[in-house]
Amino acid sequence: MAAPALSGTQAAILAAYAELIEEVGSDDVSFRLVARRAGIAERTVFRNYPTRVDLLLATAAWIDATVFAREESHSIFDIPLAIRDAMQRYDARPELAHVVAEAEMRGVNGAAPSSGRAHLERLLDAEVPSLDAAQRRAVVVALSHLDSAATWVTFRREFGMDRRDIADAAAWAAEAVLDGIRDRVAP
Amino acid sequence: MEESVDTATAILASAASLLREHTFDDISYRAVADQVGISERTIYRQYPTRAHLLAALSNWIEQTRFPLPPFVTLADFRDAVHERFRAFDASPAYAYVSARASAISLTLDAEPAYITRAIEAMLEVAAPTLNRRDRRRVAASLRYFSSAMFWARLRTGFDLDAGEICDAFDRAVGTVLARLLDATWAKP
Repeated sequence: MAAPALSGTQAAILAAYAELIEEVGSDDVSFRLVARRAGIAERTVFRNYPTRVDLLLATAAWIDATVFAREESHSIFDIPLAIRDAMQRYDARPELAHVVAEAEMRGVNGAAPSSGRAHLERLLDAEVPSLDAAQRRAVVVALSHLDSAATWVTFRREFGMDRRDIADAAAWAAEAVLDGIRDRVAP
Repeated sequence: MEESVDTATAILASAASLLREHTFDDISYRAVADQVGISERTIYRQYPTRAHLLAALSNWIEQTRFPLPPFVTLADFRDAVHERFRAFDASPAYAYVSARASAISLTLDAEPAYITRAIEAMLEVAAPTLNRRDRRRVAASLRYFSSAMFWARLRTGFDLDAGEICDAFDRAVGTVLARLLDATWAKP
């Protein structure tokens, strides 16, 4: 998710909401509480984020860009390492990981669920330019899917995995996706 | 006081019908209450928060709209998932609810989905000698690539249709299974 430039007030609102989500264990927090935590008037929150959904999506984008910021990968073959790191960060902030995961699953009204797409395509085109369109797409969508908070949520919820197991399984799957192209790097 | 099963079903059916015109966020308890002819309080008693309603609605949708075809072999599994992705494409509003509900912090009891158990059972039969860690890695990958989340991400983020999503799924599953040695698979 691209992080748009925020005013100081907006950053304070989003940080306050994220803090409350972690404390309450739910995104069901009143605007009044958010305003009080941010030290501003409730109507200031409404002026910046007219609806609950506006506030939630802006907060999810802010969390993804700050709390879950990634170190940039310089090779497509480094992506499994980045995924391993990301899973550990999600595990340290479970409530926030859920917020980011859910924001990406709302369809066109939600957050873009392919924030890393352009970066993955750039890396792949530079390193493995010989792929046909369907192969290229398959690698990009699989890695994009694995490099997300939804992976952490699913592996934890459906398989009861802990931090190490989630990081391991997600990185393992990403390595599997790369298996078919590891020896096809442009000389 | 315990609400009847019929009330719960009526609430979910009503919420599902409202999804045709509105997103989940725009469906108010008031509108559902009016449609079903009950008080808003009755809905709150059943579903104290919207997360509860979302989780229950998703379960109801999965059971009524997207029943999972049974599968025993990997080939059956692929067919079952293809069928689901096509069903998602035909009812995107329902599929997004399903994807979204699987991402929220759980409010109901944390039972793994039926498809998770079915995938684990399939692997137990197909790869009986595979060590536990690899089996879990494979099961988790298959589960995640067959999810409504995968469909939702590819549809929204990549503008793909069901056919293209099935192709991406087949390729992802193929790369995962290719990691295992041939000797892993039980001979029929």
